[in-house]
Amino acid sequence: MSQGRGLVIGTSGVLAALAVAVVLVTREPAAGVAAGPRALTVAGVLGASDGGADGFARALEPRPFHFPEDHGPHPDFRAEWWYWTGNLETADGRAFGYQFTLFRSALTAQAPARGSAWGSRQVFMGHFTLTDVRAGRFHAAERFSRAAVGLAGATATPFHVWLQDWEVRGASDMEPWPMYLRAQADGVALALTLEPGKPAVAQGDRGLSQKGPEQGNASYYYSFPRMPSRGTVTVGSESFAVTGDSWMDREWSTSALGAGQVGWDWFSLQLSDGSELMEYQLRREDGTADPYSAGLWIPPTGEPVRLTREDVKLEVLDTWRSPRGATYPSRWRVQVPKRRLDLTVTPRLADQELVLSFRYWEGAVSLEGTREGQPVKGRGYVELTGYADARVPGDTALR
Amino acid sequence: MNALLRRASLRHLGKHPWLTALSLLGIALGVAVVVSIDLASGSALSAFERSTDLVAGRATHQLVGGTSGLPEGVYTALRLRADAPLAAPVVEGTVQADLGDRRALTVLGVDPFAEAPFRDFASGGAVGNVTGLLTRPGAALLGERAARALGLGTGDTLPVTVAGTRRDLHVVALLAPRDERAARALESLVLMDVSSAQELLGQVGRLSRIDLRLTDGEAEAQRLTATLPPGVELTRPSARAGTVEQMTRAFRTNLTALSLLALVVGMFLIYNTMTFSVVQRRGQLGRLRAMGLTRGELFAMVLGEASVLALVGTTAGMLMGVLMARGLLGLVTQTINDLYFVVDARRLTLTPFTLGKGLALGLGATLAAALVPAWEAARSTPVTTMRRSTLEDTSRRRAPGLALLGLGVLAVGVGLLAWPTPALTPAYAGLFAVLLGASLEVPWVTEKLTTGAARPLGALFGPLGRMAARGVTASLSRTAVALAALMVAVATTVGVGLMVSSFRGTVESWLEASLQADVFISPPSLVARRGDATLLPGLAERVRATPGVQTSSSIRVTQVRAQGVPTDLMAIDFAAGHRPYRLKEGDAERVWRELDASADALLVSEPFGFHRGVHLGDTVTLATDRGPHAFHVVGVYFDYGSDVGTLLMPRATYTRWFDDRGVSGVALYAQPGQDVDALVARVRERAAGAQALQVRANRVLRQTSMEVFDRTFTITQVLRLLAIAVAFVGVLSALMALQLERAREYAVLRAMGLTPGQLWGMVSLQTGLLGLLAGLFSVPLGGALAYVLVHVINQRSFGWTLRLTVSPGVLWQAVVLALVAAALAGLYPAWKMARARPALALREE
Repeated sequence: MSQGRGLVIGTSGVLAALAVAVVLVTREPAAGVAAGPRALTVAGVLGASDGGADGFARALEPRPFHFPEDHGPHPDFRAEWWYWTGNLETADGRAFGYQFTLFRSALTAQAPARGSAWGSRQVFMGHFTLTDVRAGRFHAAERFSRAAVGLAGATATPFHVWLQDWEVRGASDMEPWPMYLRAQADGVALALTLEPGKPAVAQGDRGLSQKGPEQGNASYYYSFPRMPSRGTVTVGSESFAVTGDSWMDREWSTSALGAGQVGWDWFSLQLSDGSELMEYQLRREDGTADPYSAGLWIPPTGEPVRLTREDVKLEVLDTWRSPRGATYPSRWRVQVPKRRLDLTVTPRLADQELVLSFRYWEGAVSLEGTREGQPVKGRGYVELTGYADARVPGDTALR
Repeated sequence: MNALLRRASLRHLGKHPWLTALSLLGIALGVAVVVSIDLASGSALSAFERSTDLVAGRATHQLVGGTSGLPEGVYTALRLRADAPLAAPVVEGTVQADLGDRRALTVLGVDPFAEAPFRDFASGGAVGNVTGLLTRPGAALLGERAARALGLGTGDTLPVTVAGTRRDLHVVALLAPRDERAARALESLVLMDVSSAQELLGQVGRLSRIDLRLTDGEAEAQRLTATLPPGVELTRPSARAGTVEQMTRAFRTNLTALSLLALVVGMFLIYNTMTFSVVQRRGQLGRLRAMGLTRGELFAMVLGEASVLALVGTTAGMLMGVLMARGLLGLVTQTINDLYFVVDARRLTLTPFTLGKGLALGLGATLAAALVPAWEAARSTPVTTMRRSTLEDTSRRRAPGLALLGLGVLAVGVGLLAWPTPALTPAYAGLFAVLLGASLEVPWVTEKLTTGAARPLGALFGPLGRMAARGVTASLSRTAVALAALMVAVATTVGVGLMVSSFRGTVESWLEASLQADVFISPPSLVARRGDATLLPGLAERVRATPGVQTSSSIRVTQVRAQGVPTDLMAIDFAAGHRPYRLKEGDAERVWRELDASADALLVSEPFGFHRGVHLGDTVTLATDRGPHAFHVVGVYFDYGSDVGTLLMPRATYTRWFDDRGVSGVALYAQPGQDVDALVARVRERAAGAQALQVRANRVLRQTSMEVFDRTFTITQVLRLLAIAVAFVGVLSALMALQLERAREYAVLRAMGLTPGQLWGMVSLQTGLLGLLAGLFSVPLGGALAYVLVHVINQRSFGWTLRLTVSPGVLWQAVVLALVAAALAGLYPAWKMARARPALALREE
């Protein structure tokens, strides 16, 4: 039996040795999972763009706007946007609101010349929303693309700014007006013809909109405050002929949110008496309005009037808690005592929160109140950023 | 009673520890060879699948173009449409790392903004600045593991070689994959922006493909197809993985079959061990029967012993298999790289299925081999079991019957082989039937031969010679098995050896015929048999204009979808007066005239014709840049460069249908009297620059080609050696058993006055005789095997016509091999017998 034991011991020994060898050979190195920004997400690609303003042009002093050239891109500045919002209605009173924004963001100030046409330092982001007031639905879509190989871009003559099939195009090579806006996403489509309406107004100091105390922390900013609009809204299989008024903002800069600024509340209000009010409040961490908050009052005719933070009293009457977490102000009393203006601003739909790469609230509002003692009504758009995310579009304080 | 049986079994196995150990080793080796081949080729394939999966992502469809991908404008046009589907551009290629282990890396160029619906490379996260991807030329993302292996971190430079040109990539971030599967796939991947990938791979303006996700199924696919520009085609990504599987199927089947041969030899071993244990215990078995044990119980006892051996042996075999697979993985991967595509497998993929298969094979084979001995044990009556001579009598009596049965099995095998079907399985079934049939002939033939050999041996060595010869016959039940095992193993080496040498000879003469030019210039390529890298623009013209060149030709090797399947295409700008191709179908003069005259004529290679059933006069539809077009097959040419088949057309025809203007290689014919070495030097001088070109004289290229050929057969040679190892173990154990069993007989001889030296001589003579017989048997069987391998297996696997050449060297080697194996295996038993003290041996029973 001793030989038998030898056999058993020997065999077990060999088996054990083999098993150990196999374990050694097939052992996997532990897969380390590193923390850090997610790769190849849009935020990852764009987020790193706050690498400083070196090499970019800065908005230092007022400059006259030239059209149509300034409708086109300003690639030397880090960020720029073409911003349309508007309230539309069918003949029988069905109301829609829309936002159509194309953001340009430069990743770096300079980039080497490339053999490939895909090489680009400019990236476009697009947001398109439609508020269907009667159905109580809010549709929002987002897109990104580099400004290369014709996928996205902007030109002044002819006026054209596009991101894939989302676009706004001028009437002809030299004439931007009327503009044709076209966007569609997920069964919702918008096709509008935009007339200039009231002439362009320069925001801030002759178009230089200061956002903070440092020199250059400013943008160039002009608006078309009331653009008669007509066209078609499509929701699913239904199409509606609509008319209404749009508001167009154009802004470019190389500035960022200043220290202590966490977001902004922006109002563009079109009153039934033919006047408009624009107001933005930069919010500080402690909830107060930053001194660089500003506004503009545009009478039905005549020169616009700049408003300082002290000129405007903004009072939150109500808040709305998003099912996705954040709490936004959702009704306001806006007073401009110097102009004897007293308005109550109410969202046409509570939930107009954009849950995209950046979370913010931007939606159609209605308003009523008095001006110089006379009752007025009106419509407008409100944008609320910095409530849900620390991040805000483009990471820059443009409004 | 069961406990008694168990103890009896254990005691018996323990009493012959070396025999038991050898049979365990035999099973283990057989199983190990099968498992290791299965693991190695499975791992290589799944490494490829993983990387294709990762690269294909969640695309439901793909847009593909002609030989050089699609113009990038197709993507823009697609995205600017109002009903644009989810789409992502892809630029793909392969480069080689210029540091560390110089691994091949798949470059995947993507648009980060379009990627989200398709691939998630790093759900785990990435470290570094991704912005650089778009703006910095050469910016790249690497998997963490690859970076670690190459010794790189974020911010480092990764030098790579692309078709002989050295380029620097910049690692801007590392990817931390979410799971093991993704981690492995990332081990050989470089992720870049489309822009950098286009620049790196020389594909500016082109995309390799466009990935799509069509949500609306076939209806949307059809709508989309209707609007595509000519030359752009909508396909499904699964087609690609399927092609790879198909491409390597024959290669893998052949490896598996060869590995099974090792197991078959192992089965002989088990059969031998179990028979031995039954024979050894005939007394004990008889007593057990006399004590009232049923036949079923004895049967179960023998099978029980076998299953214990099987379990232990198989377990060891699987463990050894994993170890061997680790070594074979490199060989298999190298072969696949030489023959088919770039694959980088560095780890084994252990699947329960593979291991289960190994376990089932090991247990099944052992039990099957033990069935006959178990049956023998159960069958015998109490009285006859006691007598050993009865067994040998039965063996001898049964020999003619077995031989007849063997003839039947042979006939079935031949029938299976002659069955006209393209399937490989019946061919292998036939091959194994031939082996089995031949083994069944062994007892009868052995008996006849040794009886005949007794007289001459007697004349040579006296009575001892006669006794040695008779001894073989006297213990036929044992010698026949050892002989058969050795014969099968040696025949396998002979067959495989003849097949490889025939193949080699055919390829050599083919190379001689097809490599007629004096100097060949091409960029280095990652797949040895498929040089699809291109020369820098203008370089081909420059090289062709080298002084001293009489005439020259150029070749473009690329891939085109033929009938929807990616296929190698060669576009050749022929040198005046040189058409170095031999035709299998078609009359040479007419073929070349038609090729030149027609705008859409081509040649197909023999394997292509075989696999696709295409012959002279048929048409083949290619996806050209002008849209699908049916080309006329005006001839079939011999080609041993690719087993999946190639197409050949004149450069003019290619230029007409494809936008690609690249040149993959140039061949120069020297002017009469021009010194070729001087020409090579001159060409090197003219071509010096950014691209490291291979400039090779005819002789060098031929030599390199043969080296590649030999490399692709390394794995076959390894398997051959493994089969011999198993056979050697088999013979050793058979002879040991035989000699041990005869201990008493030898003791009697010793007692009668035989000196130890004489006994040693007799035993050695006997084992030598066995070896010689096995060698002689294996020659015709090996020849038959070679015939089957060359004309049936190879033909069905690859479609090649090979010339079977029987080299006497291989045959001699076989006989010598068998002799040496037997002599070596007989050394220890002979020594042991000679040393045994007769008195002890006589007392044994």
